[in-house]
Amino acid sequence: MSRLFFREALCRAMAEEMERDSRVILMGQDIAAHGGSYAETRGLFERFGPARVRNTPVAEAVTVGLAAGAAAAGLRPLAFITYLDFLMLGLDALVNYAAKLRFKSAGQLTSPMVVKATAGAKGQGPTHAQSLEPWLMNVPGLTVLAPSTAGDAYGMLKTALRAPGPVVFIDHKKLFPRGGSVPDTEELVPVGSAAIRREGKHLTIVAHSYMSVLALEAATALAAEGIEAEVIDLRSLAPIDWETLTTSARRTGHALFVEEGQVVCGVGAELAFGLRERLSSLRVARLGAKRAPVAPSPVLESFIVPDAKDIEQSARDLLLANVKNGTHRTGKEET
Amino acid sequence: MIRKLVVPKELGEGIEVRLLQWYKAEGDLVGVDEAILEFETDKAIVLVGAKQAGLLRKCFYGAGDWMQTGDVVGWLSDELDEPLPAERDAQAEVLLVSFDAT
Repeated sequence: MSRLFFREALCRAMAEEMERDSRVILMGQDIAAHGGSYAETRGLFERFGPARVRNTPVAEAVTVGLAAGAAAAGLRPLAFITYLDFLMLGLDALVNYAAKLRFKSAGQLTSPMVVKATAGAKGQGPTHAQSLEPWLMNVPGLTVLAPSTAGDAYGMLKTALRAPGPVVFIDHKKLFPRGGSVPDTEELVPVGSAAIRREGKHLTIVAHSYMSVLALEAATALAAEGIEAEVIDLRSLAPIDWETLTTSARRTGHALFVEEGQVVCGVGAELAFGLRERLSSLRVARLGAKRAPVAPSPVLESFIVPDAKDIEQSARDLLLANVKNGTHRTGKEET
Repeated sequence: MIRKLVVPKELGEGIEVRLLQWYKAEGDLVGVDEAILEFETDKAIVLVGAKQAGLLRKCFYGAGDWMQTGDVVGWLSDELDEPLPAERDAQAEVLLVSFDAT
C-alpha cells in the first residue's frame, strides 16, 4: 500500500486505464495543460496528448452530450463536471440518451461513459455545494458511485472506466485535502459493494462520500459513551448493496441514514424504506441538510449541513426511541 | 531555548501534507526567512522558513512522510548544546512562513 492524495489516486486510475484501453479519453474544463480543477489530471495531458485529454468550454450540456455521442460511437469518454450542481445542464444527454441507449436500440448501441462530478459544501455557496445524488439514483440505466477514501477512488474509477453503461462518479471537495492508502497492485472495487468501516452491535450508521468520514468520527465519540455503532460506507448508490445493509441492520435493529443533501426523497428515504420492506421491525432515522440552500457563510453552512456532532446526537436519539414515528428527522433540531 | 516548528494551521483544519524535502539538516544554522523545508498539499507545493533564526536540532519527519496541520515537524534551539526535551509538543512555537517557490 502507498499513501496518496485523493487526487493522485484518481490520476493513477485514469493513467492506468488510458494505458490499458486506447478508447478511454478525458474531456472537461481545465483538465489539459492546467491539470484539472482539483489537480487530478496533472501530467496526463503531457503523457497522453491533446487528442485524449481535451479541454472543453464552460458548457456542461455540450460536454456531456459529446461524451454520450462519443461513447455510442465506440470511445470510453470520462467527462469532468467540476461542480455536481452543473451536471443539471447535461442531464438531458445523460438521462434521455446515455442511460436509455441500450434499451432504445435493443442492445445494438451502448454508452460506456463516465461523468465525474464533485459534490459537497465547502464555503462556495448555494450553487457550488449541492449533493444531488438521489436525482441520479432514480434513473434506470445509470450506475452511481461515490467513494470516500483514496483507495476506493482508485478502485472505483477503474471499475467505472470498464463499465458497460453510463456511470456517474461522485466525489467531494472535502475528500481532496485528505490522503489515503492505495493498493500498489491493481485492485478494482466491484459495483454494488458497500464497505463496513467499523463494526458495532447497537446501531448501523449508513453514509456515503464525506459523510462516511464524519460517521466514523461520530462512531469513535459514541464508543466512549458505550454505544457501539457499525458504520457502513455505501460506495455504490445505484445499485445498492442490500445484502450488506440487511445483514448489519438485522443484527443491530437500528439504522441511521446520513447524507449531506436534502432528506426529502433522499438517499436515506430510499434506503430506510427498502430496509423496512426487508426488516419490518427495524427502527430507522434520517439525518441530512436542513430545508434550505447551502449558505456561503461558514457559520450558516455548518448550521445547514450535518456534522459529526449531529450524527452522534441522531444516533443517541434513535437508540432512545426519541424519533417521532420512527422514520423522520431533518437535520439539527429546529428551534 | 528550544522552539518547535509546526505545520501551519492556516492551511486549514485536518489538512494533510506530504513532506517533500528538507533544505537544512540537524545541526545546521537557519537564518530568518531562509528555506527550511518543502511540503505538498492537495493543491500546492509550499516552501517554508522560520520567523526566527536558530539551529535546527531535530527533524521528526523525513521526505515522503505525511503530516497534518498542527503537527510538530522539528525543533530549533539557540545553542547547539542545549539539552533536548522529552516532550515533542511542549515548547514555544516558531511561526513558519511560506515563500513563493521559484
